[in-house]
Amino acid sequence: MADMKVAAYICQGCGLGERLDTAALASVAKKEGKAALIKEHEFLCNADGIKMIRDDIANEAVTHVMIGACSRRAKTEAFGFTDVCVSRANLREGVIWSQPETEEARETTQEMAEDYIRMGCAEVKKMTLPEGDPAAVTERTLLVVGGGVSGMTAALEASKAGYKVVLVEKSGALGGWAAKLHKRTPGKSPYKDPQNTPVAEMAAAIEADANIKVYLNASTSKTSGAPGRFEIEISTESGSTTIEKVGAIVQATGFELYDANKLPELGYGKSANVVDQAGLEALAKAANGSPIKRPSDGGEVKTVVFVQCAGQRDDSGKHLPYCSGSCCLTSVKQAMYFKEANPDIDTVVIYTDLRMPGNGEDFYRSGQEKGVIFTKGKVSGVEAAGNQCKVSFQDLILNDQVAIDNADLVVLATGQVPNSGVDIDTKLKAEIAAAAGDNSLMEAYTASQQEGAVQPISMLNLTYRQGPDVPQLKYGFTDSHFICFPYETRRTGIYSAGPVRRPMDMVQAMEDATGAAMKAIQAIENAGLGRAAHPRSGDLSFPKVRLEGCTQCKRCTVECPFGAIDEDEKRFPLFNQARCRRCGTCMGACPVRVISFENYSIDTVGSQLKAVDVPDEFSEKPRILILACENDAYPALDMAAMNRNVYSAFVRVIPVRCLGSVNTIWINDALSSGYDGVMMMGCKHGDDYQCHFVKGSELANIRMSKIGDTLKNMSLEEERVSTFEVAITDIERVPQLINDYAALIQKIGMSPMKGF
Amino acid sequence: MSENYRNNFLKEVEERVEEGHWVKMCMQCGVCAGSCPLGAHWAHPPQELFMMIRAGKREEVLTSDSMWMCTSCYNCVVRCPRKLPITHIMHGLANLAYRLGLSPKNQTTQKFASMFWNNLAQTGRVNELKLSLGMYFKDGFGQGIKNAMAMQSVGLGMVKAKRLNPMELFGGHGIKDKSGFHAMLKKAREIEDRRKNFA
Amino acid sequence: MTDVIATNQTILVVGGGISGMTAALEAAECGKNVVLVEKNAALGGRVSQLYRYFPKLCHPVCGLEINQRRLKQNPRIRVLTMAEVTEITGGEGDYTATVKLAPRYVNENCTACGECGKAVDAEVPDAFNYNLSKVKAAYLPHKMAYPQRYVIDPSIIGTADADKAKAACKYGAVDLDMKEESVQFKAGAVIWATGWKPYDAAKIQPYGYDRFSNVITSVEFERLADIHGPTKGKILRPSDGKEARNIAFIQCAGSRDENHLRHCSRICCMASLKQTNYVREAYGDEGKSTIYYIDIRAIDRFEDFYQKVQKDKTVTFIKSKVAKAVQDEKTGDVVLHGVNTEGYHRYATPHDLVVLAVGMEPSVMAANLPAEIVSDSSGFIEADPSNHAFFGAGCASNPLDVNRAVQSATASALRAIQVVNRVARVEG
Repeated sequence: MADMKVAAYICQGCGLGERLDTAALASVAKKEGKAALIKEHEFLCNADGIKMIRDDIANEAVTHVMIGACSRRAKTEAFGFTDVCVSRANLREGVIWSQPETEEARETTQEMAEDYIRMGCAEVKKMTLPEGDPAAVTERTLLVVGGGVSGMTAALEASKAGYKVVLVEKSGALGGWAAKLHKRTPGKSPYKDPQNTPVAEMAAAIEADANIKVYLNASTSKTSGAPGRFEIEISTESGSTTIEKVGAIVQATGFELYDANKLPELGYGKSANVVDQAGLEALAKAANGSPIKRPSDGGEVKTVVFVQCAGQRDDSGKHLPYCSGSCCLTSVKQAMYFKEANPDIDTVVIYTDLRMPGNGEDFYRSGQEKGVIFTKGKVSGVEAAGNQCKVSFQDLILNDQVAIDNADLVVLATGQVPNSGVDIDTKLKAEIAAAAGDNSLMEAYTASQQEGAVQPISMLNLTYRQGPDVPQLKYGFTDSHFICFPYETRRTGIYSAGPVRRPMDMVQAMEDATGAAMKAIQAIENAGLGRAAHPRSGDLSFPKVRLEGCTQCKRCTVECPFGAIDEDEKRFPLFNQARCRRCGTCMGACPVRVISFENYSIDTVGSQLKAVDVPDEFSEKPRILILACENDAYPALDMAAMNRNVYSAFVRVIPVRCLGSVNTIWINDALSSGYDGVMMMGCKHGDDYQCHFVKGSELANIRMSKIGDTLKNMSLEEERVSTFEVAITDIERVPQLINDYAALIQKIGMSPMKGF
Repeated sequence: MSENYRNNFLKEVEERVEEGHWVKMCMQCGVCAGSCPLGAHWAHPPQELFMMIRAGKREEVLTSDSMWMCTSCYNCVVRCPRKLPITHIMHGLANLAYRLGLSPKNQTTQKFASMFWNNLAQTGRVNELKLSLGMYFKDGFGQGIKNAMAMQSVGLGMVKAKRLNPMELFGGHGIKDKSGFHAMLKKAREIEDRRKNFA
Repeated sequence: MTDVIATNQTILVVGGGISGMTAALEAAECGKNVVLVEKNAALGGRVSQLYRYFPKLCHPVCGLEINQRRLKQNPRIRVLTMAEVTEITGGEGDYTATVKLAPRYVNENCTACGECGKAVDAEVPDAFNYNLSKVKAAYLPHKMAYPQRYVIDPSIIGTADADKAKAACKYGAVDLDMKEESVQFKAGAVIWATGWKPYDAAKIQPYGYDRFSNVITSVEFERLADIHGPTKGKILRPSDGKEARNIAFIQCAGSRDENHLRHCSRICCMASLKQTNYVREAYGDEGKSTIYYIDIRAIDRFEDFYQKVQKDKTVTFIKSKVAKAVQDEKTGDVVLHGVNTEGYHRYATPHDLVVLAVGMEPSVMAANLPAEIVSDSSGFIEADPSNHAFFGAGCASNPLDVNRAVQSATASALRAIQVVNRVARVEG
């Protein structure tokens, strides 16, 4: 690598020239920042300014560029030099727009700007250009686990894009749940009648597709590796095993119906004439267009009652709490089976909310046109009496407790239960607590395992340190928690699709599977280039670790939100960079600070905070360090500044990738170098977490809850380190938080640590 | 005899009530019930009647005076999200109840309706004078005099404006071919009876 | 003159809302070249105008920030704003698109310093706030606008105000001579992510949206709750600026209605449930929300959210399609009339403010797109082989919530990639 040459550029545009003494800033960059080349420019982001920088890179061998101008969020493309290291000193939003334009404020505003120049220079000197992964490889083959409609869709769509597919199905035939259906609900205009399922057509297309290799009666008995280089052991029922190499995985393992045996109050198991939706499909399939007979005696069916939400939307804790989203459509379809065979058969659907969104309204109307009767009611019980059943319910419209005495068939619309395998989170939480010295969770977990609890069968059998399956979000579904990013789950390169991720109907499952195939293909391509996946997509940096300093504490391996780190035979952490999302949680976790990125490290942040000029105790100028999440808190600060919402001139803000990447050494360093307070601003954590690295802000919060001891050892007040949940819209709240905190610091007084 | 939530009565309504086949299309939103200017006077608003029909409450529906409350303002029809011709269904239901002899005996609208029909069916034209006097006196002689006195100025005004001919009281004028008209009504009734299964 | 370099291996994405941005980013992050065309001056679409998302109650601009960061560092995406596709000719794998670019009167020199905005006097309705407030005629579309570049409203061109804006800009960014221009370029596949628009509430006559100031739409309510909105996040009603504590939410305002929109718009129930949280956030136990509904469609795990709102004592649910609204001239209150169909109870209930949960309709009816496209009875683009390499994404294809719209957009990216990969294989 060429010798480092730092150039500092200071912009005078947007009022910087008027509000600040840029010559003094240049002198700071020279004397303290040790920049070899310093230039002021009246309008740095225009074509001329950019050309000037480009020329310096080309002609002056500049390797490191410090830009003192606007926020890193502004003019990002203009200053996006990829061949040199770049740091941005935020003088516009971070200084002149957030400070009052008054003569009295001039001095502190200038001090702020000078500090940001010091910080920018210090940071850039510690950066190196990410080299990318020289060993990056990729296998342009997808593994699809599950051969239902979701899995078949993913396989066919990936193949159409030119990728090879390995499809593993546990049963002896493709089709999954859909193969059990007589007909499906319509997926196209005019949404009036049940349609044939696409199973036969898709299975034939798969058979004819040279790109798709199918394993039936098979399971993925071992999955190791990382995106681009997964190694899959496929075991078949006959006992043979095969190894397939794939680049990414789509998990489409589907669902089972909720066990209707848990609903004896609805007559299931007490009469053959009470069936679930699968039971009715079986009857319809057997009848194949001729009238469906009564199961108990083969008698004629005259009245059918559909009980919606059976064992669903339950707030008692006994059954499924959620709605399965597809059962209303299914019941209407099933009622149509009867109406088509004989319009005189009475079909009554008892529902509380009919949930048929979008074009489902057309299907609802069609059901009504065909004479299906809909009744808003709550079923209290189903009793068998001979070959008929009595369905008792509260009619919510007529406000009447009533019964249908002579139902020949009762169909319970039970919900979808995902086939998501092993829930890894309970153990993982216990391990995280144990690594932090709290063994209680682990003891409870171990105890629960010894009570002979039946373990679910793993779907993927991942050899990952954190467990054999994809982490679950809620109720066993493997969905993403992100509304804007439905495919961002916690295992890079593994995407779930269809009802395993969320209860859904076939239309949505096919759309979802196509999207999942897209993400899998993208993961394959990114792995080949050594690039990160969302949300830091394109990032070429990845954690570098000095193993010789590692104490094998395991924090990084258990805390990584993405399960990227395994352990090698000697129990050292083994980084799988293609799994890594570059959040830096491992860097934040490491007590011996041996983990860093090329362009974001213990030193890039540490040197910045140390570069700040901390005035002495008697100056009445406290210094408050703000470590702000770059995605939410930092933009909030920017936008506050755009609104000219003023905040204290005593703060110095450093954006971090995620609060999870904050290493306590930074806090220690800040306090021992005389800062009076540290504010950490991260995203909301808890059930509705908003952290885009899933657990970063939560982990930071846990770590910081223990900072009290450190403060005590330093004889400092506990308020000197505070954590705040900040949202991107907090453009008025954040300045207020800062000002309140500055007032608090004023009250408790200056840090006694200054000047040591 | 109809049974709970069996379709017997719904089928009867579909067969015997004009536009009755729309009843099954109701989605129980209730906008008809809230839109009716006479709503407060209905024991069962249209949407509830539809649900009762679907629930097989034949007796309750047909003996109800609710559908007789409809004044054909069409507020409900224009607002119904399912475009049900509610006004027509209400009149159809009333008609069915009347034909079956189940309608409430002293219901005012029903009285007016039969008076109107009888008046019209006689000569082929409505004799307004007889019709209004009939309405005045429907609740007894004393009340009839009171009603007539109260409307005196309106009546005299109409006479002056030649909108009312007192001579109409004595027979009045009709259409040309009365017997042909009566035959037509008879035939229409036969067709209707056959179609609606009343024969 | 704007220059667009594209080939028949380029994917054209029409619409820069969350679906269009997603489709463009997913394809570009897979190594494809994309041209993203947006008719407004900034990306983000309707999502950027929402205060919070259901069910997490997180802020949509958080995801927008991530998407914009992805966009800023991805050289494969060419973004054209204030641009509309006027014609597409050719066939699958070989389309030619004509795009009309409206003049912004501000060039790429703009630093968003805001001096032009300070200089002009004229104000124009702020479309970002659904015209509930005004903005200077030289403006940044919103605080998160990408591109972060001002716009000069065409209404002041030729006036002294425009000259003031030009004079105020030290960077030569104001260019009053910009003219509408038209560019043509190739594309192998086209993703239509043209999004949705709120149904015109004035057409629902009995609710009096066009007559009563205190009857507003759900999208307008989002702006009231948002800190960037016309009331800076305070829920104040339009007639008198009074705090609106007792708020009615009318479901199916236009949706599930043969007189208006035939389909169910899917999101409105959840949107209203979410908005009851805004009332609670603002007024705590002093707030009162009433939801008038036909069916609460809190599908799948959204049910959790519904159950949570049901437990909130300040929220009442009434199963009723409201018959009519009448605003009291003196008090400004809006009285809702109707019948609770659960047991037949009439009501005439006054509210401080009425929010119509307006339905979604396609922003551009598929029939009006400058291409032959098969659509459903509501004008949403259907997946159909006769659409060749035209693919609907997000709410252009169906009324969808954000999550499902993004799934749809991701799927559409793959469909487009299938086409351009085929082209690439043929061309070697």
